[in-house]
Amino acid sequence: MTRYIIQRLVYMIITMFLIATFTFFLMKFLPGTPLSAADKLSEEQQQVVLEKYGLDDPVPVQYFNYIFNLLQGDMGISFQFDNREVTTIIFERIGPSMTLGVQAMVIGTILGMLLGLVSAIYHNGFLDYGSTFIAVIGKSIPSFVFAGILQYFVGVKLGWFPVALWEGWEYTVLPTVALAIFPIAIAARFMRTEMLEVMGSDYITTARAKGVNKFGVVFKHGLRNALIPLITVLGPLAIGLMTGTLVIENIFAVPGIGEQFVKAINTNDFPIIMGTTLLIAFLFIFIVLIIDLLYGVIDPRIRLAEGE
Amino acid sequence: MENHKPSKDLFVPVDRAENESEKITRPSLSFWQDSFIRLRKNVGAMIGLFVLLFIGFMAIFGPYMNPYGEFEQDLSRAKMPPKVEGLGWLGMDGMLTSVQTADTVEGAEEKALMRFNNQEEFITTSVLSEGGNGEPAEVEAVYDVYGAKGLEDQNFWFGTDGLGRDLWTRTWKGTRISLYIALLAAAIDMVIGVAYGGISAYYGGRVDNIMQRIIEIIVGIPNLVIVILMILILEPGIISITIALTITGWIGMARIIRGQVLKLKNQEFVLASKTLGAQDNRVLRKHLVPNVLGLIIINTMFTIPNAIFFEAFLSFIGLGLPTPIASLGTLIEDGFNSLQIYPHILLFPAIIISLLMIAFNILADGLRDAFDPKMRE
Amino acid sequence: MKKTNWLLLVLALVLSMFLVACSGGDSTDEGSSDDGSTDTEQDSGSDSEGDSEAASGEQVLNLIDGAEIPTMDASLATDAVAFQWLGSTMDGLYRLGENAEPEPGIAKDHTVSDDALTWTFNLRDDAVWSNGDPVTANDFVYAWQRAVDPDTGSEYGPYMMGGVIKNATDIAAGDTPVEELGVKAVDDTTLEVTLEKPIPYFESLTTFGTFLPLNQAFVEEQGDQYALEADTLLSNGPFVMTEWSHGEGWTLEKNEDYWDAENVKLAGINVKVVKDTATGVNLYETGEIDRTGLSAEFVDQYRTSEDFRIEEEPVLFYLKMNQEANEILGNVNARKAIQHVIDRQSMVDVILNNGSIPAVGDIPANFVSHPESGEDFRELNGDLVTNDVDKAQELWTTAKEELGIDTAELNYLGGDTEVAKNLDAYIKDQLEKLEGLTVNVQSVPFQERLDRDTSMDYELQNSGWGPDYIDPNTFLNMWVTDGGNNKTGYANEDYDAMIEKANNELAQKPVERFELFLEAEKKLIQEDAVLAPLYQRAAAQLWKPHVKGVIVNPMGPDYNYKHAYIEGK
Repeated sequence: MTRYIIQRLVYMIITMFLIATFTFFLMKFLPGTPLSAADKLSEEQQQVVLEKYGLDDPVPVQYFNYIFNLLQGDMGISFQFDNREVTTIIFERIGPSMTLGVQAMVIGTILGMLLGLVSAIYHNGFLDYGSTFIAVIGKSIPSFVFAGILQYFVGVKLGWFPVALWEGWEYTVLPTVALAIFPIAIAARFMRTEMLEVMGSDYITTARAKGVNKFGVVFKHGLRNALIPLITVLGPLAIGLMTGTLVIENIFAVPGIGEQFVKAINTNDFPIIMGTTLLIAFLFIFIVLIIDLLYGVIDPRIRLAEGE
Repeated sequence: MENHKPSKDLFVPVDRAENESEKITRPSLSFWQDSFIRLRKNVGAMIGLFVLLFIGFMAIFGPYMNPYGEFEQDLSRAKMPPKVEGLGWLGMDGMLTSVQTADTVEGAEEKALMRFNNQEEFITTSVLSEGGNGEPAEVEAVYDVYGAKGLEDQNFWFGTDGLGRDLWTRTWKGTRISLYIALLAAAIDMVIGVAYGGISAYYGGRVDNIMQRIIEIIVGIPNLVIVILMILILEPGIISITIALTITGWIGMARIIRGQVLKLKNQEFVLASKTLGAQDNRVLRKHLVPNVLGLIIINTMFTIPNAIFFEAFLSFIGLGLPTPIASLGTLIEDGFNSLQIYPHILLFPAIIISLLMIAFNILADGLRDAFDPKMRE
Repeated sequence: MKKTNWLLLVLALVLSMFLVACSGGDSTDEGSSDDGSTDTEQDSGSDSEGDSEAASGEQVLNLIDGAEIPTMDASLATDAVAFQWLGSTMDGLYRLGENAEPEPGIAKDHTVSDDALTWTFNLRDDAVWSNGDPVTANDFVYAWQRAVDPDTGSEYGPYMMGGVIKNATDIAAGDTPVEELGVKAVDDTTLEVTLEKPIPYFESLTTFGTFLPLNQAFVEEQGDQYALEADTLLSNGPFVMTEWSHGEGWTLEKNEDYWDAENVKLAGINVKVVKDTATGVNLYETGEIDRTGLSAEFVDQYRTSEDFRIEEEPVLFYLKMNQEANEILGNVNARKAIQHVIDRQSMVDVILNNGSIPAVGDIPANFVSHPESGEDFRELNGDLVTNDVDKAQELWTTAKEELGIDTAELNYLGGDTEVAKNLDAYIKDQLEKLEGLTVNVQSVPFQERLDRDTSMDYELQNSGWGPDYIDPNTFLNMWVTDGGNNKTGYANEDYDAMIEKANNELAQKPVERFELFLEAEKKLIQEDAVLAPLYQRAAAQLWKPHVKGVIVNPMGPDYNYKHAYIEGK
């Protein structure tokens, strides 16, 4: 096992390196410069600006400089915010996104699993259709519409929670609920499917025949079975939520990283794009590793470590 | 003792042909036939199927049902509320209402008239609350938009948008685009995602390792960057969106299938099949894929709205379909801006997308049940 | 055995969740705390009394802004947000006051030499920086030199000062040392500026952000960290920035050491970054903020409200037509057809619906008036373009004959604002009324759009321009041959000569100069049809009635909060 983990960590470094390389050359491939109004600058000045960002070197040199700086944790300075360091900007912005993402994931997963469980136990009954309906609506109404309605009715009309802004815990409530819709819907659907699978299997029938309580047996055996697809989907989803969603952040005026990322793309802020990409990629690869390890814990029959 | 023995004459041999002992009372059905029978019995699934067919039908023929064009603008008829002859009781009467508050009834009435450009002959006001005791007066004004604009003979079934374009036509045209994107995304998922995930997990070891690292790299590069590259290389439009979806859309599915196949591939029935000499190809197709069918269906159901909204998201940040082409996503986004005052712009596309999703999901649940051999009666 | 495995799994899940939650929580606190440890640092740095709690009293303005501040470095600032908050925390020589009249800032008054080339400003001696240093003439010399120094990489420095202040253009090109810039500190309170040529609008120019002073010792001490955080910048204006959480918002407090502190009534301004219009309106409804902008849809809803206000702005929007890259647009009749086919009135009434008015020339209405008669520029020149579809068709037919074509296809570079999508669709529809014309709307990312403008890689484009100073020159000067913002390929010697004459020979003859500008506009729009004017922007807003004394500026910072106060809340 230890050998496997070490092996995976080595792969992780290689993958990160490849991603860094790919993104770097993709950025070089995109047209555009950091000069927001190139023709307002004299040639002398343009030269100074390019030098400041290290863009006057030939591309291979830029590439080695980039990788070298990256190894020291330096991602350069932003194009759109003069002189501000990419690492500072990203760490400033990732906090709120993470908070919302984690809260939404925890709440959403728990609620979704319960909903899925109820669905499966009352298969094709009223509760099943009800929870399917909730899950489907949650998924088919665009998040910005849901968030907008939530903000207007709960925030403005009822006044239960702050409408928007980012000034304390109560400000996270509405955006968290708006985000939690995704994990609720997904967890509920996968839970239901897997539960139904399990409920039809022989060992459950046996256990039931022996008189074990319905809920207990279904929950215990079903959950374990449902976990494999659940963590496979929810892991990357968690990364998605934690690294920010533009619409939710815009609507609730959350200073998160999703909004920053889209803005960086719109303004050709390459250092920020690359920094954010690497961060998301790292989190993703890390979660995938955790998930692969968990596979073995959940179902001992799965062996990833031994290969041909 | 002899008496106790029944006479052999009492027994008449049953006339049973040799082959009849092997006969199965229920008709022999293939997996697919069996599934189809079970699906047909599922009322919910059939309703879902019907709704889908209906929406598909409307997407094809709906735009031709009235004389208005998809791009036909006329600012003098902008933001008309929906009006359908005979459906007035449903609120589709072409009227706008507004409640105005002020300190006095007169003040509120004045504001109510002002809200609708003071066209008094087309405004009916009614006092909701006289006010007083610190409570403001409330006046409700009902405005006959069609009358005021001299369009009594016209019917915009879904109303019009901010540029006076007929929303009925635009909605069904948009449904076409969204259905195309949805089906495309589903197809990519089913073909690339399932094959990739299945192969990766089944062969395991080094194959799995390499294939998973490739996935990590693809996921590592944000979708948005890829889309922008496509837009700058190609032209913005449906082709660049299609390509962007093709590049990254199948990854979720591949990972799920991989997880599930990893679980299944060491189970007894697979081992049995292998022992009996089945080829890898056969094991994958006949044993593993049918067993993950439920998950494939469920996941596809999530891919579809994701794809539809990914397109809408691209429009939101200005990189989607070029104006003025409509999709359900762009229509909803457009309508969202006027949610509080002209809800009809949002309402109809939102209803259609929700119906589409619910129908897809119920049908998917039905399919899942139908494909599950354990559910056989 | 099985049990322990199970527990292990749950534990692992919970732990990983907690780990992420903790790290997330920590950074949030840093980002959003009101009185955390970061605050104390800021306080010591910015020399303000009291912490941000003080900013929650009665005389506090709560505002939102659509974007975060990109920079607080006056030399590097290029956008409206930066200039707004620079203008609130800094005083230049003059400050824009009521009716866009410059009112005294650091300068008490000034004298102009007979040849109008030397301006001598007398500075007040009681102005101080927020670290206690006096504001001296040297601070202006340093700031202006820094702005044109090529090593600074300022966009606006050379753009605003080139051709205005002596030697600025040469210095920016690296040909002349910065010390040669035509600005000199005679003593601590006397600043002498030498101009390249007479500039009639120079006084109005000194209110612009790029001309703000900088404290040399402080800026050099901070190095490349200058103005990156609230504690690495200084102010000498009515307010000091005490807190700056970049993506989230910033807090301004009254500057007690400000030379005119007794006339500043606000105790502070809280600004939050809010991008979504509906969010702004909802915040306004719940009383969290004192002002919000409205989009076309919300105008319908709030038109009857007492809080509803429309602010006219001298900002023009027009279609740029690339006559160099496109043969069809190279034809003057084709361009005129485009000018006349668009129905502007319906466009501003229905699509914009925010008080914007149709644009009929290259100078906005109520921007400049005749120096003698006081008549508005726009009134005098009248409607240079009209909506006349028949005339447009006629012109279009002529154009097609001249070009020898039956059908034409044009690409239109679309905008990216909320209203842009509808506007683009509308303009496409309007232009396609011209027989045989197809317009393709292209949407590209914001920066890509700028790049395409710069490299003239477009055919039609919706573009806008707001004034940098109050003079027709700010709009008309753009279109001279190879002008930095021309980018339409328009090159006309006669037009160049007119602008040249207005800015040199006639620089000290206001009436003749004004009349020449009238003529130049006619040539630009009516004769040569360089642009198709669309609309003059206005802003529909909700203002809480208790907010008083805010001055709305036509240029530079959008609002002047120096005299603002809260009454009757």
